[in-house]
Amino acid sequence: MKIVATNITSPLGFTTRQNLEAVMHGQSHLHTWQGTFGIPEPFCASLFSDGQNHELQVPDMTRFQSLVYRSVSEALSHSNINVASSRTLLVLSSTKGDITTPLSITATKIAAKLGFTTKPIVVCNACTSGVCAQILALRLFQTGAYDNIVVCGADLQGKFIVSGFQSLKATSAHPCRPFDMERNGLNLGEAAATIIFSREQAPEKQSWNLLSGDIRNDAHHISNPSKTAEGSYRSIQAVLTPERKDSLSLISVHGTATMYNDQMESVAIQRSGLSDVPVTALKGYYGHTMGATGVIETILAIHFADKGRIPPSRGFSELGVSGRINISDQTITTHPGSVLKIISGFGGCNAALYLERCQESETRVTPCGYTTLSSVSITTDTVLCDGISVPTTQQGRALLTEIYKTHIADYPKFYKMDLLSRLVFVASEMLTRSKTFNDADDCSVILFNRSSSIVADTEYMQTIQPGNYYPSPSVFVYTLPNICTGEIAIRNNCHGETSFYILPDKDCELMDLIVRASMTGNDNSHVITGWVDCNSDQDFEIELKLITRNI
Amino acid sequence: MEELVLQLKQQIIKTLNLEEITPDDIDPAAPLFGEGLGLDSIDALELIVMLEKYYGIRLSSPAQGKEIFKSIDTIAQYVQKNRTK
Repeated sequence: MKIVATNITSPLGFTTRQNLEAVMHGQSHLHTWQGTFGIPEPFCASLFSDGQNHELQVPDMTRFQSLVYRSVSEALSHSNINVASSRTLLVLSSTKGDITTPLSITATKIAAKLGFTTKPIVVCNACTSGVCAQILALRLFQTGAYDNIVVCGADLQGKFIVSGFQSLKATSAHPCRPFDMERNGLNLGEAAATIIFSREQAPEKQSWNLLSGDIRNDAHHISNPSKTAEGSYRSIQAVLTPERKDSLSLISVHGTATMYNDQMESVAIQRSGLSDVPVTALKGYYGHTMGATGVIETILAIHFADKGRIPPSRGFSELGVSGRINISDQTITTHPGSVLKIISGFGGCNAALYLERCQESETRVTPCGYTTLSSVSITTDTVLCDGISVPTTQQGRALLTEIYKTHIADYPKFYKMDLLSRLVFVASEMLTRSKTFNDADDCSVILFNRSSSIVADTEYMQTIQPGNYYPSPSVFVYTLPNICTGEIAIRNNCHGETSFYILPDKDCELMDLIVRASMTGNDNSHVITGWVDCNSDQDFEIELKLITRNI
Repeated sequence: MEELVLQLKQQIIKTLNLEEITPDDIDPAAPLFGEGLGLDSIDALELIVMLEKYYGIRLSSPAQGKEIFKSIDTIAQYVQKNRTK
């Protein structure tokens, strides 16, 4: 799938070219902020200036909507794709968007303003979203359902996100130091980035193509990565062949500069036999731009590969991880070749992409069929397993506790989960207990909803009120809706894909296409999938099914 | 001290959503992490917030928590010595 145009809109510039030049010249807008956003503790972040915010502002749009609109518009100006076509899709990657407005509504508004006529899909897979959005695009493209897919990743910073990462003790008050001995946490950043994939035009004879992508869960912990880098390692194995390994110019890593992430990635790289391949870590330039990071880093990586020059990994000085990797505080010269992009995030999610400059090879695949093995649906007062009603007495939130106590009872971690995860957890337990589910290792969990993590979001906001400011780390974690997919992976020891998508409505046809496209070319035997929407203790629904691919 | 121990138990049960546990179930000398209540790293971070919220104690680094959060008894001793509210 060919890349025809890109944009990066960050504090370093509003085009890909400006960003590339800034990074090549070692520039960064990471500063330490004190008292900003009403946050008592200082933090270091890369934020848009007031002047930049003013310049980006689009009438009648929020700051987030404006940012996405500007980035996508600028990218579109470099391509001739027909935005209004029924075969053109917008995929938005974001962790929190506007926070108070559901991402489904935000995406719909932006898509309409840009002239799209198809329903936008939001990928909300924590820090891996920007890479997962490209993987979704590749899969949908290969089904033939779309000719043009515009992937935009974006996030902005504010009290909500900064306080949350501080409560997790994951931030540094100083410019971050990826993979360094002295690293002590991440910096947050603001940005949007867009990649347009299309089959319609070829600006060059050999263009950059996204050839392969893969998503795997660690099945280890909702916020700490696996010590053996299990998910990351597996996703790398899935996208690389021996020939591809030999052609790599560079690996673009996540490199957040937290103790655990960088250590884990170094293990994944060494385990994969890639210790000699030059690495680029970009958080020292941008901070962690969340939904945008996977998109920005993919764009810059292909430019580095074209130039054969990788700028210094800013902030790095002395290797402070156990896995051997080829990273430098100096410019690295590399041979022109292909790119491996890796990323990991909360919920235990890991993803990898393989990109190569080549003649386009059109791969068309027919989405596979599947058989439903079991189904469960739960509303605030009913529980149905395979269509048969399960007798219960409670309602709303208490109903979930009743199901747990009556039918499960051996997993006290249930009580630590937010409402969305409790709902998904009890439904998945009912789903898998009725069937033999011995071989869960490569099972995937793919969920959809409309209202993201609104219940946890509201609860977290209560903990960051002025005068009563005690940000809760355990609540903050659940403000990423994909955490519930990680909970299921951990419980069942599933190392398959975990994905969370936010849609404008419960569009069964679109969900079916996404799930079938995910199973095609994947070796997963089972998928737990369905719609789960959770608005309050007294307003939720889930329809979950366990499916297996038809052979 | 006994009063503080009971109060801490109640606060921990509430803060960490230990819904099926009562204060009597928790041995104040037993390890809180690893075994026993099976608490994890996010719980440790939540206990740091709890110390600040109820006792006005700010830990300069999360690593300090390792010693303090060994058991209810160690927390109680630390709180008694360092509380500002």
